[in-house]
Amino acid sequence: MKQIQAKVTGNNQIAKDYYKLVFSWEPPPDTGPGDSYPDFPNPQPGQFITIRVSETTVPLLRRPFAFSGYNAETGEASIIYLKRGKGTEILAGKCPGEYIDIIGPLGNYLKKPENKQKPVLVAGGIGLGPLLYFSSMLDQWQIPHLFIFGARTARYVPDMNSLKNVAICTDDGSKGFAGTVADFLNNFEEKELEHTMLYCCGPLPMLKACHGFATEYDLECYVVMEQIMACGVGACMGCTIKLKKPQGYARVCTEGPVFKSRDIAWT
Amino acid sequence: MDLSIYIGGKKLVNPVGVASGTFGYGSEYEKLVDFTGLGALYTKTVTLKSRSGNKCPRIIETPSGMLNSIGLANVGVDRFISEKLPLLEQAGCALIPNIAGFTEYEYAAILKRLEASHLPWGYEINISCPNVSHGGFTFGTNPAMVEHLTAKLRRITEKPLIIKLTPNVTDIRGIAQAAENGGADAVSCINTLVGMVIDTKTKKPVLGNITGGLSGPAIRPVGVASVYRVKRAVTIPVIGLGGIMTADDAIQYFLAGASAIQIGTGNFVDPGIPQKVLAGIKDYCEHEGMKTIGDFHQFIE
Repeated sequence: MKQIQAKVTGNNQIAKDYYKLVFSWEPPPDTGPGDSYPDFPNPQPGQFITIRVSETTVPLLRRPFAFSGYNAETGEASIIYLKRGKGTEILAGKCPGEYIDIIGPLGNYLKKPENKQKPVLVAGGIGLGPLLYFSSMLDQWQIPHLFIFGARTARYVPDMNSLKNVAICTDDGSKGFAGTVADFLNNFEEKELEHTMLYCCGPLPMLKACHGFATEYDLECYVVMEQIMACGVGACMGCTIKLKKPQGYARVCTEGPVFKSRDIAWT
Repeated sequence: MDLSIYIGGKKLVNPVGVASGTFGYGSEYEKLVDFTGLGALYTKTVTLKSRSGNKCPRIIETPSGMLNSIGLANVGVDRFISEKLPLLEQAGCALIPNIAGFTEYEYAAILKRLEASHLPWGYEINISCPNVSHGGFTFGTNPAMVEHLTAKLRRITEKPLIIKLTPNVTDIRGIAQAAENGGADAVSCINTLVGMVIDTKTKKPVLGNITGGLSGPAIRPVGVASVYRVKRAVTIPVIGLGGIMTADDAIQYFLAGASAIQIGTGNFVDPGIPQKVLAGIKDYCEHEGMKTIGDFHQFIE
């Protein structure tokens, strides 16, 4: 984990209210020679950064965002975010060439599946980011997988042409499958699900539904969780969720954000 | 210029500390912050037994601040001594465990166990957490109890004893005087203010614990006023905290009468703030011809 000034190299709208911010580790020009960030650890899928979006006190706290991609050759990383409040509004105004204060990479990550396992990635809304990155890693590892993306309506569906095997679901049927990702999952035949592993990120009701589906068919299921954070590094104990195993609270920023769905005390 | 200060006869190399609960056990920030620049590290509150903390959600941002209801989640004093304190052996700054009990006996028991370690520089006594029921909160609002507790702890340790005060009282000066009468070496003020946010969609409180403690720049004027009033009621040093984000904020506290300050919520926003604040204080002293922190205290009667 490091705190750096990252250079914005792109910040574009990709769907209604959805933006993709691309940045590199390149230090600001005034940091002097030799003051680069060679040892910034490569981010893994599921890991996140926190950004201080402005120097003002409203908004105050850093905002957490999952990596949606990383290019080791160019050193460029990206996040996908939903413009929904003051913080993300300011972020949407950042232009290429500007610098942003980031801390990362933070948290645990999605690990490479074992042989035989068939990954199915289930993303809902802004949960898209970390699974897009995971999907690109699965491609690198040459592991075929299905990517299911759910949104309210077609306007919230970004271009997904980079994905090899994608199913788009919209609640109103304006694009792809009409229904939720959970409805889509329920259309699978039991025998198709052998060796299937679920990787899910999205709103809480969707994650609960995925967990319920995984439980019913006895599938391994990993979820990438979200929680309001203050420090993001494990110090404040603010971003906890309740676990069944080990019983008690776990910090989403440190023990997570990736959890086995069966370990979570879903309420 | 000499920015060192003395509390209970012991020296802190500079007046900038990181506040309890905002810096974990220190190790969480190790990769981001060079501790040797810090005057003091006040650790997360430690209790006699481990605590898992309050129901979620535990934090919510508010205008220029945040509410928290962590509920003193911590590993308990035994694991604190065996696992957490040793990690800080090489920290290079004064380590000040912050402790809280639910009875006088618990406070005393924690302090006795910590006394067996050579690592604490001194202690900060949390009599003011707003997020635990039947806890230190009742201690912190009752002068007689504060004096009695302080006197009891005074008999256990010769190291600096700092009592952390709550602003959630009618008159903070009476509590500060009680701490001084009990033998405290300093008081820190202020802890968080009780606050509440309600979600108008669900019509329910946002925090799992219903109310929480308000911190951040929003409370800074309350902290500065508290230091100003407390400084004029006691003779022991006052440590100021509440919403310090910049050197200018810290300087306001010094001018109000603080001998040292702590950065709290600011650490969440930028872990580099303590160092920046210290550098800014030095610049200000140079520019304004201040030689010691005591020089700040002459401007406001």
